[in-house]
Amino acid sequence: MAVSAFSDEWARQFKDEVNRSSTYKSAAKGWKWTVGLVVEAEPDKNFPESKGVVMDLFDGSARDIKVGAAADAQKCDFVITAPYTRWKQVATKELDATKGILQGKLKLKGDLPTIVRYTKASQEMTECTTRIPVEWPDEK
Amino acid sequence: MSEAVDYADPEPSAFASMLGGLIDANIENNPTKRKDFDELAARVGIWVTDIDEGVTLEFRRGSLLVHNGLKPKRDITIRAEAETVLNLSNLRIGLFGMPVYYDEVGRGVAAKLVQGKLHIDGMLGNIATVNTVTRIFSVR
Repeated sequence: MAVSAFSDEWARQFKDEVNRSSTYKSAAKGWKWTVGLVVEAEPDKNFPESKGVVMDLFDGSARDIKVGAAADAQKCDFVITAPYTRWKQVATKELDATKGILQGKLKLKGDLPTIVRYTKASQEMTECTTRIPVEWPDEK
Repeated sequence: MSEAVDYADPEPSAFASMLGGLIDANIENNPTKRKDFDELAARVGIWVTDIDEGVTLEFRRGSLLVHNGLKPKRDITIRAEAETVLNLSNLRIGLFGMPVYYDEVGRGVAAKLVQGKLHIDGMLGNIATVNTVTRIFSVR
């Protein structure tokens, strides 16, 4: 059953998907930093307030993934920021996250050599989001 | 950001900022890469074929000027998809400072070369430059 985008239930399913992925487990071995996703508000898309996804990732597993305020996500070691529509494009495979970052469609903040070292893990994490059936607010 | 890396354009593209930032962090953190950087004089183009964006890296023995897009008089030009370009940054450096092509990442990069999905124009006359640039790029 589809879950609301960026809801608590979505976060729980996202965490489960990450922890089910053997690809992520091996590619993210040694990772020990928090990652924040900032989903910027787009009121005209029925997404009126920015949200933050805080991911506590450690050594190939997701210890916790929570949805809260954008400010919480901005405190993470690595922060990726984009408007709601961009994140929807990523989650529906319309936009590859790696290309999006290189094009500036997604803004990345954090130590670049570290994130580049874990490119494969990042790509698999994106894949995990695409496996969650989502009900998008602009389609309601 | 250190003073070693500068941008030619008033508004560097996201790709230019990312590559400049990556090289900046690499030379700050690694004296061997810094030595390579201090000795390298070359104009290196990188064109990402699946996003139609590129940069020219103008290495000037101890400083780097990053240009948006491909500029004339390049010594080498690397053309590949985004994922391959990032994989170049993940090549391990082995004995005598040579990139390692026998591990998983190296084999992937070598396969792209053989398949024609990674082009390095000017490689034949500039093998040493290609290896030096690879070492400076590498986050390993």
